[in-house]
Amino acid sequence: MIASDLIIVAPLLAAILVAAAIIVADLIRPGNRTLVLLVSFAGLAAVTVLIWRASLNPGAAFDGAYTVDALTTLLDLLFVSIVALTILFAPDYLEPRRLPVAEFAAVLVFAMSGAMLIAAATDLLVLFLGLELMVLPGYLLAGYAKRDALSTEGAIKYFLLGSFSSAIFLFGLAYVWGLTGSTRVADVATTVGNMVSGSAPFSAGLAMGLAFLTTGVAFKIAAVPFHYWTPDAYQGSPTPITGYLSVGPKLGAFALILRLFVGALAAAKADWYPIVFVLAAITMTLGNLVALTQNNVKRMLAYSSIAHTGYMLVGLAAYAGGRIEGLEGLLFYAAAYTFMNLGAFAVVAALQRRPGVTSQLDTFAGLGRREPLLGILMTLFMLSLTGIPPTAGFFAKFSVILPAVEGGGWLTALAALAVINAAAAAFYYLRVVVYMFMREPVGEDDTSRHSSLVWTGLWATTALTIVLGLFPGPLLTMVSDAAKALT
Amino acid sequence: MVVDRIPILSVITFLPLLGAVIIAFLLWERPDLARWAALAAALLTWLFSLGLLVGYLPGDQTGGFQYIEQVDWIPAFGIQYKLGVDGLSLVLVVLTTTLSWISILASFGPIKERVKEYMVSFLILEVGMIGVFLSLDLFLFYIFWEVVLVPMYLIIGIWGGPRRIYATLKFVLYTLVGSLLMLVAILATAFAYADGHGGSFVNAFDFISLRDYAATAGFSNTLQLLAFAAFFLAFAIKVPMFPFHTWLPDAHVEAPTAGSVILAGVLLKLGGYGFIRFALPLFPDAARTYAPAIIVLSLIAIIYGAIVALVQPDLKKLVAYSSVSHMGFVTLGIFIFQAQAMNGAILQMVNHGLITGALFLLVGVIYERTHDRTIAKMGGLAAATPVYAALFGFFMFASVGLPGLSGFVGEFLVFLGSWSYNPWVAAVACFVMILAAGYLLWLFQRVFTGELSDFLRGLGHHLTDIRPVEILTLTPLATLVVVFGLFPGLILDLVSGTVTSVLAGMNGAVAIHFLPWQ
Repeated sequence: MIASDLIIVAPLLAAILVAAAIIVADLIRPGNRTLVLLVSFAGLAAVTVLIWRASLNPGAAFDGAYTVDALTTLLDLLFVSIVALTILFAPDYLEPRRLPVAEFAAVLVFAMSGAMLIAAATDLLVLFLGLELMVLPGYLLAGYAKRDALSTEGAIKYFLLGSFSSAIFLFGLAYVWGLTGSTRVADVATTVGNMVSGSAPFSAGLAMGLAFLTTGVAFKIAAVPFHYWTPDAYQGSPTPITGYLSVGPKLGAFALILRLFVGALAAAKADWYPIVFVLAAITMTLGNLVALTQNNVKRMLAYSSIAHTGYMLVGLAAYAGGRIEGLEGLLFYAAAYTFMNLGAFAVVAALQRRPGVTSQLDTFAGLGRREPLLGILMTLFMLSLTGIPPTAGFFAKFSVILPAVEGGGWLTALAALAVINAAAAAFYYLRVVVYMFMREPVGEDDTSRHSSLVWTGLWATTALTIVLGLFPGPLLTMVSDAAKALT
Repeated sequence: MVVDRIPILSVITFLPLLGAVIIAFLLWERPDLARWAALAAALLTWLFSLGLLVGYLPGDQTGGFQYIEQVDWIPAFGIQYKLGVDGLSLVLVVLTTTLSWISILASFGPIKERVKEYMVSFLILEVGMIGVFLSLDLFLFYIFWEVVLVPMYLIIGIWGGPRRIYATLKFVLYTLVGSLLMLVAILATAFAYADGHGGSFVNAFDFISLRDYAATAGFSNTLQLLAFAAFFLAFAIKVPMFPFHTWLPDAHVEAPTAGSVILAGVLLKLGGYGFIRFALPLFPDAARTYAPAIIVLSLIAIIYGAIVALVQPDLKKLVAYSSVSHMGFVTLGIFIFQAQAMNGAILQMVNHGLITGALFLLVGVIYERTHDRTIAKMGGLAAATPVYAALFGFFMFASVGLPGLSGFVGEFLVFLGSWSYNPWVAAVACFVMILAAGYLLWLFQRVFTGELSDFLRGLGHHLTDIRPVEILTLTPLATLVVVFGLFPGLILDLVSGTVTSVLAGMNGAVAIHFLPWQ
């Protein structure tokens, strides 16, 4: 370990130190929410500065196992914003239920460090390490409301299926290592390239490895038919944690896909292209179809997040079909989806600030009258999720459908399927708007105010949803650099 | 003059948005002022559009665009913020701004709840409509096309009738499917253009560049067939053409009066405009291929709309189906690819906007008083409300197509053009004039003549005659109906340049034979 290596991994180290600092702060002053939040945000700000500093000197550390490039920077920034926003939305929900905020923040930052490790990993074992570091805190968070049976059930399902899929994934990694004799992504890429181009004998192990890897990863991103853990885990978890789970681990899993499938196994594109194509098609369709029938907003958003995974896979399929713009579309979609989904979950969490308020559609009835501003913001998020201009969600769909149409042939058909799904999705997103503005309130009014933390977070996600839709230029440049760095 | 020194098109497009922002942020506590602010914004936009009209006239009228505003927006994809106006856009923009302030004025009485949200929605709707007519960049056009959806959804869904949620969801989902498929077609077209220019996306979404490319090199047959089909779906749902019209009766009936006026008056024209502006110039071969089928669908719409209108028990639904029938003339006129017919189609668009808009206002007047639109319950209104009966009679005759009023000229030009295409087509279309006279005159007889019905007598003094404010909303429309009936040249001179250039693009078009037996 030399000094230059430490400088490169500084953001990651800082993230872990921040998590530790939060725990220490809570030990020193137990139950002091202000201190915890102060330490968290100061720590996250420091991490952001370090990420920016690291981006100025891209390079590798630890003999090529850890790389900082444009992709790392983009993903790290997204992870930090996910965690920052979740910490903004959570205390209002957790405190009335007497759930501790400090442990929550610390566990979240640990998960973030795992995700940051994935984003920078150019070694298979480091990739796996990052994956586990990211999801293990996630299992903990899913069961955070430990006295709630639903939360525990969701957490157990998530844990069992998550561990199972991690094991399958590791098995696939073992095959790939066995083929190449090295765990470095660059070496794997060369060997696979040789195999595909014919200069090395083809090994059936590659096919086996691909199968296991794809399955393991498909569980993580909740692609159909590996998605069964998602609705229960999302519905059972406390709402801010659901918001985090729908974007954080999902983005981390996509980072894993990018580092592994695009970084290491790109030469075998033609082999995993059909799988991704089919996964994209059925994930989008099933996610939308089942979301249509949901009466619980959290469960509906869970299925909708499955559908959005499908749209992102369309971008990946476009890449596998030969268009690098597919990767750009995937990254743009991931960024836009992060903010609009977090915003939607934030509104649900804000409405549930009193314990006992469910996330059924009735909770939203008449919201336009009770809390008009919240209703308008939720409408914006619903419109963005549907993909109606001029929101970020529209441009995200545009950036994913564009390369698919460009790909021609089957990919254009996939694009057409995507837009039909988007139109169908309008039904269940707009249904929330119907309840908010066209129905009378059910039950008695809750006149307590939302904290300024929640409003800060809501305004931030709203602003990003609108700005990314109207002026996508800067983000487009970032994703373009990231895609080039990867390929 | 002042319109030459400011970016007049952007001003016209975004002035209603400014009004909406003012209402949303400054007047949130004063709903009583909100409606006046909205009216002021709409009137101001109308005045600017009239200024644009005056400024446009001295310039190039041969089908080129004036007052072009162009800013690079997303250079990575060649997407620009580009607005421009030609005769067709100008006429429709003035129609939009006129109907907007009239609708807002007409909303003063009926809308009593959540007035500011209504006004904000209406103003954003106006931004979307004007933007559609002025966009010269396909991506920008698509954005404005979608922006129109959400305010309309809210207006029908919140302030509408008993079945409003069903009606508004049907409207939104139907339109969304069509327009999302159009998005795919837009993307495919941009790619084809980029491929033809060595992979560069510069100007790939610019309508003028795409049109010139279509005229010189032309898009491939497959692309044309598929892209035209997608555009056709989006526009046919909007027009609405048979059999994509089923959202219309529900949406019209359940919408509040002003919502129906703007829906019939402007939103339906978005479809007709889309055909003339985009579908025909970009995909001329595909247009020629599909034209016979589209002509048949138009004829069906004309007849079907009229026959179904004949048997409607609900006053508003009758006018809604008459809309389907009248808009059938528009698509018929467009797809005959003949100058007189296309001129007639555009004229019919304007006239339908004025006349059917007025009819919906009139239906709204009686609904305000009776809260019941069942025709069977009405009768003898002529004696009780003579001024109202006179106005209704006037617009009814305009809708029938009485010569001297504007409704006649558009339909007559379409007949003339379709006669030269195929006399049978003209004969069938002409036959509908009888049906139109049938359902409208019979309606007038049932509602206005005879003895005052028991239901209406029971309303007592609630059954007042038409009020001055309501007359104010109808007067401009009546004036224009008479003026365009006697001097249709005013519109025809403006739009003939566009028609000539579109038909010139269609001249070299050859129908594509893609069916196995051709």
